[in-house]
Amino acid sequence: MKSVFTKNSISSSTLSLSKKIESKKKLEWHNIKMNYDMYLLMIPGLLFLLLFRYLPMYGILIAFQDFNIFEGILKSEWIGLANFTRLFQMKEFYTVFTNTLVISIYKIAFLFPAPIVLALLLNEVKNMLFKRTVQTVIYLPHFLSWVIIAGLFINILSTSSGLINNVIKAFGGEPIAFLMDNRWFRSILVFSAGWKESGWNTIVYIAAIAGVEQEVYEAAIIDGASRIKQMIHITIPSILSTIVMLFILRLGSILEAGTQQILVMYNPVVYKTADIIGTYVYRTGLGNMEYSFSTAVGLFNSLVGFILVISGNNLSKKMVQRSIW
Amino acid sequence: MIKRRSFGDNVLDIFIYMTLGITAIITLLPLLNVFSKAFSADWAVMSGSVSIFPIDFQFDAMSYVLKSKEFLNSLKISVFVTLVGTALSILMTAITAYPLSKKNLYGVKAMLLLYVFTMMFGGGLIPTYLVMKMIGLVNKLSVLIIPAMINVFNMLVIKNYYESLPESLEESAKLDGASNAYILFKIILPLSKPVLATISLFYAVGFWNDYFTPMIYISKPELRPLQVYLRDAISQLSENEINRQQTFDEAQHIAPESVRAATIVASTVPILLSYPYLQKYFIKGVLIGSVKG
Repeated sequence: MKSVFTKNSISSSTLSLSKKIESKKKLEWHNIKMNYDMYLLMIPGLLFLLLFRYLPMYGILIAFQDFNIFEGILKSEWIGLANFTRLFQMKEFYTVFTNTLVISIYKIAFLFPAPIVLALLLNEVKNMLFKRTVQTVIYLPHFLSWVIIAGLFINILSTSSGLINNVIKAFGGEPIAFLMDNRWFRSILVFSAGWKESGWNTIVYIAAIAGVEQEVYEAAIIDGASRIKQMIHITIPSILSTIVMLFILRLGSILEAGTQQILVMYNPVVYKTADIIGTYVYRTGLGNMEYSFSTAVGLFNSLVGFILVISGNNLSKKMVQRSIW
Repeated sequence: MIKRRSFGDNVLDIFIYMTLGITAIITLLPLLNVFSKAFSADWAVMSGSVSIFPIDFQFDAMSYVLKSKEFLNSLKISVFVTLVGTALSILMTAITAYPLSKKNLYGVKAMLLLYVFTMMFGGGLIPTYLVMKMIGLVNKLSVLIIPAMINVFNMLVIKNYYESLPESLEESAKLDGASNAYILFKIILPLSKPVLATISLFYAVGFWNDYFTPMIYISKPELRPLQVYLRDAISQLSENEINRQQTFDEAQHIAPESVRAATIVASTVPILLSYPYLQKYFIKGVLIGSVKG
């Protein structure tokens, strides 16, 4: 008795389900027809995407070929993973890979905390004129191109008349060719990157701090908490999820050590410490025209990068329930 | 509530104001130094006595740069690329974002995925270069504009803004028989002016500051935008500083370092002039983007 009943209900429900699907399909088709001009609006973007973003992805195939530009991708000889085995056997690759990681880790270690500290300090400033002035000044370098930044630093670090070396000379020291010296070059990279972006990166943290409710601070003041204690026990915990999210995302892009920056600042003398994956791909690919090999290096880079970004985002979702998508 | 300031508070304040003050000075120093060098007399620049104020003011280096045909040509190209690039990009991005803001539209989710994927993975330098070569964009100014027309991050910001607009507006227009395209151009875009202004500035600064794209795709000297011109000027000077220093100095009575400094200053001025707007709108943009990116 019971089973019959269930059977009936199942068959009736499947019937209604298939009807539903049919009517849903009709509705969908109606929806598409009604909105045909919406689809027309999608076409330019779609063409753009296919031509400039997905066609190059198809071109990645040349990483598995001995690509010849006259033969094209269809006729060039397939060589399997030969480019990759060559890559992993090269000493140069390990230098480049290590440089990428080292520069990235320096940048994260020094430049990730910098805007947090600046934002916390700015938050304590009660003199609005001073605060605005400092903000206006430290946001500015964000808008300057890497070429201009390179120019500014080459100028100030010049051995003949640069400001820094003048100070060193004034104290009786020997001028240092900072940009030609393997001991100094990475420090210059980290410093100039921090000079450009540390101020600007405070904005996210300042916004997060502004979101903390004032009553919490008022209660703490009544309880006699000092400003340092308020900072440690209220401000920092309330922006912690922002910090964690941005940190994880920053780790996700660890393979990007600043190609555009290094490309305008380095020179053959400092390849030993400053040549990174991005600059190496540029030189082997466009300089030496080793298209296939360079694409293989690039593919290795973007695959690892892709995995890191995806896992970073998932980790951020799990840890602080926040993510970029 | 009247609160007595403690000794600790004062020490803290001194620390805070000093740290921030020094940070601001460090930020300004390279800029002031380059300005001073651009306008200081050759003897002062060569002897290394210029710090943050011009010594024995001269305008020769700047006028030399501003009269240079190559500089002016590069400036013209940068202005052209920035204006045309920004106009086309904002149009393309604003149009593309509209259908994608309709979550119920069939296929939108798949399309979004297609866009977002390109934020995380790409063909890379060489495959992209080969595509540009294949479609004949190498050594054309359009290579600086067309492949940069849609920035997915910018598009998502605009899409989110569209989604925040009240739906009732579109519905009433639809009842009057308006098409989707009509609604986009006559209702949605005018309402989205604030976000479109912000994103336009994002694009404009991006086009103005881009040196990577022209460095890869443009080899004709007459098509060099300002950033590449500046890069060449800087590296030429640092490569054979001493050689040029003598010949140049004798002929012009300008320190070559002043010319380099003046070139940097001349390329920075447009950014400095628009900085008040840039700062205001960019901060808005960062906040829109970080609320829901």
